[in-house]
Amino acid sequence: MKEIKAKLIEKIGGSFENVSVKDHDSNRLDFHVDTNVIPQILTFLKVNMGYIHLSHISCVDWIEDGEFEIVYIVWSPTEKLKVFVRTRISREKPLLPNIDMIWRQANTYERELREMYGVEVDGLVADKEFLLEDWEGMPPMRRDFKTEEYAQNTFWSRDGREDAVDVREEIIKRSREEIPDFAKKYSR
Amino acid sequence: MINDKNSQKISDFVQNWARKHSIWVLAYGTGCGAIEIPPTMTSRYDAERLGVRGAATPRQADVLLITGYLTTKTLKRVIRVYEQMQDPKYVIGFGSCTINGGMYYDSYNTIKLLDKYLPVDVYINGCMPRPESVLAGFGKLQELIAEGKANGAKEYKENHKYYRDNLRKIIGNKYEMPEYNW
Repeated sequence: MKEIKAKLIEKIGGSFENVSVKDHDSNRLDFHVDTNVIPQILTFLKVNMGYIHLSHISCVDWIEDGEFEIVYIVWSPTEKLKVFVRTRISREKPLLPNIDMIWRQANTYERELREMYGVEVDGLVADKEFLLEDWEGMPPMRRDFKTEEYAQNTFWSRDGREDAVDVREEIIKRSREEIPDFAKKYSR
Repeated sequence: MINDKNSQKISDFVQNWARKHSIWVLAYGTGCGAIEIPPTMTSRYDAERLGVRGAATPRQADVLLITGYLTTKTLKRVIRVYEQMQDPKYVIGFGSCTINGGMYYDSYNTIKLLDKYLPVDVYINGCMPRPESVLAGFGKLQELIAEGKANGAKEYKENHKYYRDNLRKIIGNKYEMPEYNW
């Protein structure tokens, strides 16, 4: 495993600039790269190194830094190694290069990124609407989207949830049952 | 003879007796609760001995089981399904999510109170309710039907505007809902 990792680090480091590597104990390797070399580095991994499977594209919202971190996870079935390719883009104008010519299924992930985080993808051909219907306003997975406040303002809620009263005594009185011993320690 | 009070009572009794023994459930699972339906229906709990069985289409079904959380996207379809069902029809709210939101109380996309949108006859509490409580819920529904108290469909007809307004408040005005004859 160490030899495979060393070989990969050497090849990627030799071919691309500004690459920083983080090694993990398990079969995992992280690369932090620039945004504009994402298509090249993923094509290199797929065509030359045998990382033919795109597992996932995910997004992390670093609201403190004003940045989104996009993570591409690729997997090689021959070398049994997961490679995480990470890149950071600004939160104000998030724009990603399109990779759906490398993996066709990336299109779905990119649509989801656009809908849930508002990350635009350059030249993405797909309907604007994906999972949410008639959604207006801020994308819901951003960290500055106040989910609980939104839910309280949008949907009706039943009274009696806020105070969280222990009603078991009352129920027990009504049905004349006893609290079993194992359940007593959970009593508030 | 037909307007005679006693004969009306007798016909009601016979109707309700027949209805309570043939509860056909629409096979439509909305949330994670649908996973409790197969054990309820199959050999161990065997709900069919109570007359509870699955129906393929809304027009053949008597009961709409709302199994778990309802997203706003599913809500539109559920209301359409409910409006296509033939009278007599009943609604069972299944799991905590239909009662007060359950673990999805702070979700941006799930409703919390089912009875704002549909007239619920019986609630089954729990997350998840086990097949025993599902059967208890059906037993309660049978009791209500026998007593002639399960009048959800009638309520929906009378307060149609109230339910429709609540629905519009959630889903906005873009989505087109067909207006059925009432």
